[in-house]
Amino acid sequence: MQKNKTSPSLKDRIHTLTSSKGGSAFTATLLAIGMGLLFGFLVMLLASPFNSVPGFLEILLGGASRLGDVLYFATPILMTGLAVGFAFKMGLFNIGASGQYTMGMFFSLYVAFMWELPTSIHWIACIIAGMVGGMLWGIIPGLLKATLNVNEVITSIMFNYIGMYLVDMWIQGNAVMYVSSKTRTQYLPASAQIPSLGITGSNVNFAIVIAIVIAVLLFVVLNKTIFGFELKATGFNKHASQYAGMNGKRNIILTMVIAGGLAGLGGAFAILAPSSIAGSSMTYEPISVIAANGFNGIAVALLGNSSPIGIIFSALFISYIQRGGTLATMFGYKPEIIDVVIAVIIYFSAFSMLMKNTLAKILHNMANKVHTKDAENRTTKDHKKGGK
Amino acid sequence: MKKKLVLLLAAVMSIGLLAGCGAQSGYEIALITDKGNIDDKSFNQGAWDGLEAYALANDITHKYYKPEEASDAGYLAQIEMAIQGGAKVVITPGYLFEVAVYEAQTKYPDVKFILLDGAPHTADYSDFKTNDNVASIMYAEEQSGYLAGYAAVKDGMTKLGFMGGMAVPAVQAFGYGYLQGAEAAAAELGLADGAITVTYHYTGDFAETDTNKATAKTMYQEGTEVIFACGGSVGKSVMSAAAEAGTKVIGVDVDQRYDSETVITSATKGLGASVQAVLDAIYKTKGWDAYSGTTTYFNAANSGVGLPTEIIGEENGNAFDRFTAFDEAQYDAVFAKLVDGSVVPVRSLTVADPNGYATAEELTAGLSLVKVTVEARQ
Amino acid sequence: MENYIIEMLHITKEFPGIKANDDITLKLKKGEIHALLGENGAGKSTLMSVLFGLYQPEKGEIKKNGEVVQINGPKDANELGIGMVHQHFKLVEIFTVLENIILGVEPNRMGFLQKKEARDKVIALSEKYGLQVDPDAYIEKISVGMQQRVEILKMLYRDNDILIFDEPTAVLTPQEIDELMEIMRGFSKEGKSILFITHKLNEIMSVADRCTVLRKGKYIGTVDIKETNKEELSRMMVGRDVNFVVDKKEQEAGEVILSVDQVTVASKISKKNSVSDVSFKVRAGEIVCLAGIDGNGQTELVSAITGLDKINQGEVLLCGKNITKAPIRVRSKTGMSHIPEDRHKHGLVLDYSLEENTVLQRYFEPVFQKKGFIKKPQVRTYCETLSGQFDVRSGQGPVTIVRTMSGGNQQKAILARELDKKHELLVAVQPTRGLDVGAIEFVHKQLVATRDAGKAVLLVSLELDEVLNVSDRILVMYEGEIVGEFKSNEVTPQELGLYMSGAKRNNTKENSYAKK
Repeated sequence: MQKNKTSPSLKDRIHTLTSSKGGSAFTATLLAIGMGLLFGFLVMLLASPFNSVPGFLEILLGGASRLGDVLYFATPILMTGLAVGFAFKMGLFNIGASGQYTMGMFFSLYVAFMWELPTSIHWIACIIAGMVGGMLWGIIPGLLKATLNVNEVITSIMFNYIGMYLVDMWIQGNAVMYVSSKTRTQYLPASAQIPSLGITGSNVNFAIVIAIVIAVLLFVVLNKTIFGFELKATGFNKHASQYAGMNGKRNIILTMVIAGGLAGLGGAFAILAPSSIAGSSMTYEPISVIAANGFNGIAVALLGNSSPIGIIFSALFISYIQRGGTLATMFGYKPEIIDVVIAVIIYFSAFSMLMKNTLAKILHNMANKVHTKDAENRTTKDHKKGGK
Repeated sequence: MKKKLVLLLAAVMSIGLLAGCGAQSGYEIALITDKGNIDDKSFNQGAWDGLEAYALANDITHKYYKPEEASDAGYLAQIEMAIQGGAKVVITPGYLFEVAVYEAQTKYPDVKFILLDGAPHTADYSDFKTNDNVASIMYAEEQSGYLAGYAAVKDGMTKLGFMGGMAVPAVQAFGYGYLQGAEAAAAELGLADGAITVTYHYTGDFAETDTNKATAKTMYQEGTEVIFACGGSVGKSVMSAAAEAGTKVIGVDVDQRYDSETVITSATKGLGASVQAVLDAIYKTKGWDAYSGTTTYFNAANSGVGLPTEIIGEENGNAFDRFTAFDEAQYDAVFAKLVDGSVVPVRSLTVADPNGYATAEELTAGLSLVKVTVEARQ
Repeated sequence: MENYIIEMLHITKEFPGIKANDDITLKLKKGEIHALLGENGAGKSTLMSVLFGLYQPEKGEIKKNGEVVQINGPKDANELGIGMVHQHFKLVEIFTVLENIILGVEPNRMGFLQKKEARDKVIALSEKYGLQVDPDAYIEKISVGMQQRVEILKMLYRDNDILIFDEPTAVLTPQEIDELMEIMRGFSKEGKSILFITHKLNEIMSVADRCTVLRKGKYIGTVDIKETNKEELSRMMVGRDVNFVVDKKEQEAGEVILSVDQVTVASKISKKNSVSDVSFKVRAGEIVCLAGIDGNGQTELVSAITGLDKINQGEVLLCGKNITKAPIRVRSKTGMSHIPEDRHKHGLVLDYSLEENTVLQRYFEPVFQKKGFIKKPQVRTYCETLSGQFDVRSGQGPVTIVRTMSGGNQQKAILARELDKKHELLVAVQPTRGLDVGAIEFVHKQLVATRDAGKAVLLVSLELDEVLNVSDRILVMYEGEIVGEFKSNEVTPQELGLYMSGAKRNNTKENSYAKK
């Protein structure tokens, strides 16, 4: 009897969870993360059963002891996440965040080494330059899409490579910036580095504050302004936006410029980070490798459901898990195994967002099964009563 | 159904917890990888192979770590984490660790550091200091390159090629030694001036790319008989071009004869051997003082460089079987000259180009080449 | 006891905030055609989804041949012999007809597809029931009516004997509707039982044996068609008397609002022009209807006028201003309102809320924005006012996501938006498509009210009743040309039919009118 009373309430709860609008997205995210963690744990269990529990707990909790680093490493992926997510709101798939990010790095480096500016504004100029670099690399796919209807996925992928090779070439050809014997750039002048937030043992700097402010600004733009209204309308239904007389071409170009600028800022924030070692800094190595942070941005955006506020949290979450993961290598796991576990957690979480509806449906069915079972219980009981 | 799942999970977790109590804590010898992976066929792998073999033989706990970020601060953070994880000896493969080790050596005086291919210094180069707890290890790549160039010419080849990766000091030294070795062999054979031609090229990367393969292919089509592929994965490109052209390759760093039939020999440096030598000094022979606080060159004299003389898994195998004329006796003779110091190849030159790409004139003049004509190609 | 093949007893299905089905009982006899009638949102589709296993009801049970069955999904339904033709077809566009029919039940021998076997069965079925299809044609290349036949064949191929048709006539031409009715009668004779969801009373009267009526999720009653009439059915459905005749006073047309001059539009798929050399005028205070069978250039002509597509030749003037090449926004500001043919594709951003959709054409006006920021309170108030005025019903008011609203209410929202916006010309393309009688009556009244207010109305319709009842003047299009012009009170449906089918044409009349 008691079971009969409790299970409908469980069902109701699942119903409310899966059917309320904002709630369902959030619940699905949590479920997805939960499943990701479960699978991650299974991988660890397979790799080394004896260390799996402490190792996994370290992944879950380790980040808490390194909050400075969590924020530091979240900064660039927060920006590339925004670059992907913002374009996605418009229905554009900006796979080119990586190239825009690299271009942003180069522009920042160029201003850092080649321009002599007062200390107080040098780093700001470098950041702005990075944004401009990213914008330039975003506008080209945007223009091609708007004027010639060339698929932005293809152009932006190509521009990842073009950007990376160009930057490698430019840097290797610049004797001021490049130290050939070390195959990397010079250490940045201190004036070009972003002020640190002063947490010992961590490079966390003012950029994370800027990044969060930008995310909040984007949220406002998307939800409160005419531009955001047009952008989302186009993303949801470009035919309707055309019907409503919105200037689709202008909006495509504008969106790609903004997305590029965001990724460029990510590059700037990454390369301009201060170093906890005096006289040292971040350096760029022209080794023909595409910046991974650009692609991580896709996972960040997916997990954050493309919402700027969601992306803040997903970037922090991913960074948090990664920091814990590094600590977990101390439990006898090879770094590669931990990489696999982290990747499983992140991508499972991110891609499960795509399966949001499927998940909701599974829950729904579970609720229904509980219900039918109750019904069966009741009927059998009734039969018995009847039998008496 | 759900309950069962929860129970199962709980059971698994508790088994794990119990087992976790018994797990060992701490790894005594640690290696930090640089921007590359542990299987890079270069510094990371070479050092790790040596470390692992030694640690397994002597039953010492060991582990490698991957930094979160390829920067000085990132390397330092990972060194610190390794020490937290119980490391007493930290091995850092490559000059990228110079600044991080400089910082760490004073911070952790009780931990021993083995820095390969570099010497600790501050970021602004204002201070070079190798503390007593640091062994700085360098390799005489020019000697290894010398042997390779010597062997090729002695074997009867006259058209040689060199494909370096980026012009970092180690790659430059290999190349310079290669040219000097070829010169010496040509002189011994009494060849005419300019009888040997060497096409000299830096690819600008350490990657296996179609461009690199095409470059190698062009060289072979122009008549080059052998290319000294000196730049990490550039070697893979060269080997595949050689396989198609039916020509030869000289490998680098480790014995690459097992990677391709085209590899006649390899200009090796004993990454693993040097790591093992230092570890042995720490753990067994009490010889740490010899390495402590100074830079030690591994060269022909202490078997730190050379061409391979053995084939793994073949007791009486002839490592020179892919040469037509050159043999082990000739090798031993020239190797002895390097050991006794009667031949000292030039290691570095002053080069005008910011990328370190030497011109043909710079090479000819700097290395006093007579028999060898260099064509520098960009 | 009567012989029921399917009994749905006391079905209750709730969604958050709404009881879509409230204690509904439906009993289907073997071999009958049973109509399920109700307005949009009455719960017909939900009930059928329950039968098809797509939803699980909170209460009630389903019996087949008197035995309780549990249907957990389409697969279960299929095993019980229940098949369904959905309103929106579930076909793979790039597959052939045959491939679509056998999809999921491919005959195979050790994993190898046995197409020959399947083809024979399909051909036999199509001959038996008069369902002419080309098994090798690709779905994307065949007409909507043909696609429907494929859906029907899918059911027959699976040996289903309980066939559900979800608003099957909404997408068909009059001729195709007649054919479908004939096919359904054939099934009935074969002993197959049919559930026929519709809100078109004529069809029910002509083909159904019995009819169950739903209203707002509740069961109203089941009636025998022989013992009822249209008026009674519509009263059951709507809950009040419905006026089938549009109330319209005679009115003199005023000045020219829209002038279309020798417009030609090239076809996107063939070398022929989809609109060639069309000229006409629409004046203030009149409703001009473009009549014709679907696919004779009406859509392309309207797209050209409204700016969705380019004009190749000719000119369009709105209120004296040349808008031939003007952007859509300019047309809108000059005074054009547009109820688009496809409300899901063009008319609405389905994932936007109702309030956001109500300002879709006006969000940039100073009333609704300040310095680029949208004034949310004003938008909310405006939406509430409009919803009240046009009786737009939604679950959660202005914040309701439009996708969750019923088709009728979606259309009302568009109507409200386009009519409240400042306009001189209303272009309405099939504004009553897929709506129930109550909603149709409402739309017609609004169109007439717009005309009475002195606006020009250009109506495109495929329904002859609508063409004749609502418009003042009728232009018949055939193969991209205007082939006839009539005053609506001076022409019979039969006469129009001849022009629409191309059997008769009169080129001079419209041209002379245009040149006047």
